[in-house]
Amino acid sequence: MGLPAAVLFGLFYFVPFIANLRYSLTKWDRITEPEFVGVRNFVNLLTNDDLFYKVLGNNLRFTFLVVLFQTLFSLIFALFLVKNTRANIALRTLFFFPTILSSVSVGMIWLFMYDPNFGAVNLFFTRLGLENFALNWLGSEGSALYAIAFTQVWFHTGQMMVIYIAGLQQIPQELYESAEMDGASRWQQFRNVTWPMSIPTTIVVMAYTTIQSFRAFDLIFSMTQGGPNNSTNIFAVLIYQTVFSELRIGYAATQSIFFILVLVLVTVLQRRFLSSRYEK
Amino acid sequence: MKHKNARAFKALIAAVFAISATVVPISQSFAAGESLGKKCTTEGVMTGTKSTSLICTESNGKLTWQRVKLASGNGRPVANLTPPKGEIEFWHYRVELADQRALVKIINDFEAKYPGTKIKQVVRDTTTYNNTARVAILANPKAALFATSRGAIFDQFAKSDMMLDLSNQRYVKQNVVAKGLTAGQYEGKQLGIPYQYLFNNPIVNTDIWAKEKWTTPKNLSGWVAWCKDAKAKGYVPLAWPGATRGQAAQISNSALMNSAASYDDLAKNLADLNSGKIDLTSSWFKGVADIYVKLRNAGCFPDNATGVTEAAAYNLFATGKSPILPIGTFAMGSIVGLNPKLDGKMELMSMILTDGKVVAEGIMNNTYTLSVNKNSSSRDQKIANAFLSYLLTGKVAEIYANETLQHVNVLDVEYKNVNLLNTVSFQAKNTMLAPRFLLLNAAVSDLTQDALIQIVGGKSPDDVLPDFSRQIKQKLQG
Repeated sequence: MGLPAAVLFGLFYFVPFIANLRYSLTKWDRITEPEFVGVRNFVNLLTNDDLFYKVLGNNLRFTFLVVLFQTLFSLIFALFLVKNTRANIALRTLFFFPTILSSVSVGMIWLFMYDPNFGAVNLFFTRLGLENFALNWLGSEGSALYAIAFTQVWFHTGQMMVIYIAGLQQIPQELYESAEMDGASRWQQFRNVTWPMSIPTTIVVMAYTTIQSFRAFDLIFSMTQGGPNNSTNIFAVLIYQTVFSELRIGYAATQSIFFILVLVLVTVLQRRFLSSRYEK
Repeated sequence: MKHKNARAFKALIAAVFAISATVVPISQSFAAGESLGKKCTTEGVMTGTKSTSLICTESNGKLTWQRVKLASGNGRPVANLTPPKGEIEFWHYRVELADQRALVKIINDFEAKYPGTKIKQVVRDTTTYNNTARVAILANPKAALFATSRGAIFDQFAKSDMMLDLSNQRYVKQNVVAKGLTAGQYEGKQLGIPYQYLFNNPIVNTDIWAKEKWTTPKNLSGWVAWCKDAKAKGYVPLAWPGATRGQAAQISNSALMNSAASYDDLAKNLADLNSGKIDLTSSWFKGVADIYVKLRNAGCFPDNATGVTEAAAYNLFATGKSPILPIGTFAMGSIVGLNPKLDGKMELMSMILTDGKVVAEGIMNNTYTLSVNKNSSSRDQKIANAFLSYLLTGKVAEIYANETLQHVNVLDVEYKNVNLLNTVSFQAKNTMLAPRFLLLNAAVSDLTQDALIQIVGGKSPDDVLPDFSRQIKQKLQG
């Protein structure tokens, strides 16, 4: 029974992984023959590539912001909409709606919204008399990453909310009833019942959001292509540019190995942190 | 005696034929009284765009009738080749509706003329095409005809040894604008034929220009003064899209074109920058950056310039908020789409951004370069060659040009669209093949443009140029 799965895994995951490792030891432009360079790409990446560290920082900041706010908002929305009333179902559909859009469409919509001279966001702030908040959202190194992070949160919060609602609906009603009988307030009920019982869901949501944030290629590519001055560049965009624009396949293979390592590290740390909370 | 008379008669017939073949077409062009070298009054007025056409242009300080340079070829145009029966794929990146309308019509006409011969279009958007087509075509000999864009992409394809040398084809020598062949050459071989003949920068709203009674600035100081005046009158002087690198870079052609003493010097500087021999802190590039600083300080660029997308820049120009779109003739179709009232109200202008020696007055580019696949079968190559020769006949190219609002690199094309007619006279000027594409390393090119965008965004060249030079160095070492 396990053989077909093993063959498929080998063919589509293991073989490409080994091929990637092999390419990472070469200098190859997809035109001439690959040239073996040993660990030069790894050394260069770690010791002579400012962009790599900038992208690493961007990726961690972006992931932190998105995971924090997306998890928080999706939990809050789920708490408000957990009961299956007609209004709640309608609102869930509304919040879920952005998820069904293609990420490039979302990118284009928000590109217009963030336009510094014509966009709805700046118009909103200007109309409210808050001119100081009317920024060059995507054109400034200081705000571009945060603007895209906000878009990513808007895009996927509905999806995570649905996962949370499914998790929250599994919590036995009796726990709330006995908490009420003990005189627990709503906050105490949340702290002592809802939150501990929703940690397994939170682990799923956070792991999924982390991976989603690392893979936010289409959104970033359609909005800024990693600019201005690489301030919104993340690993997925960097690897794409290194392969397709710069034709440095070996170097991109090395970048992708580090991409995987960082992703695994972040996910493991996250999981450990939340699991320890859950066990307590 | 009889023999001598016959010979004289033959010579007379030949002379009459030669005179009628040359003088009659020319005299048709001269019907309104224009003649080569004679005085004229309105600069830019043309008698047409055929090989015999004339244009009123300045020469030695006087306006005189001169040959339309667009019509300069290496001989009299020839008819297209006849294809064998069969089917080939034509790979390219022109997904635009107008291009599709034109190409579908052209292909249908070709297939109707040669039953049994089929041309199947395989079209990808530019980004996808640039990133994937080379590998796909290398593995697909049916892709007998394909397109590349000038610069790094053409270079990558050429290095892959996948393009047939077309140097000896008569239709290449005789149907194509001679000046427009350079962009398709690689190591002395004619590996592609650029189909489009574009003018990159800038487009002017003639109504605003006339209303404000502005004259074309003659140099950098003139542009600086004009920007200040336009800004004071409430305009955004240049609708520059700093958020879209590819289009933001168009103005760099104008900044580069007169930055060195000659085209060869400029080409050498760019080649050295490309290879890492010099960096952005060189005195030459500091001069280029200084042009941006002067334009920025004069208020030439929009507010929040680095956040202005291509769409927003088009909007600024189409709504009359900006009198100049520093992009190219290829944007005119989109502009008319946004504001049909601008149809016929757009022209090109020289953007001379130096106070020193003028090497060139304007920018042109030859791109959408068509090549025959070296790995295709001989029969498929013949079909590709025949279809390419068909595309390169005046009447067919005319369909493409007038439908897509693009000038073409083909002789004897009559432009019917008013915007094309208004801008084609720019050919008579001393134009330079867009120099920014001489940066063949995409990383170097992108970082160079990003550095200039950062300067427009308000940063000092003293900070930006060393920073980006370091980034370029790291890319070249990596």
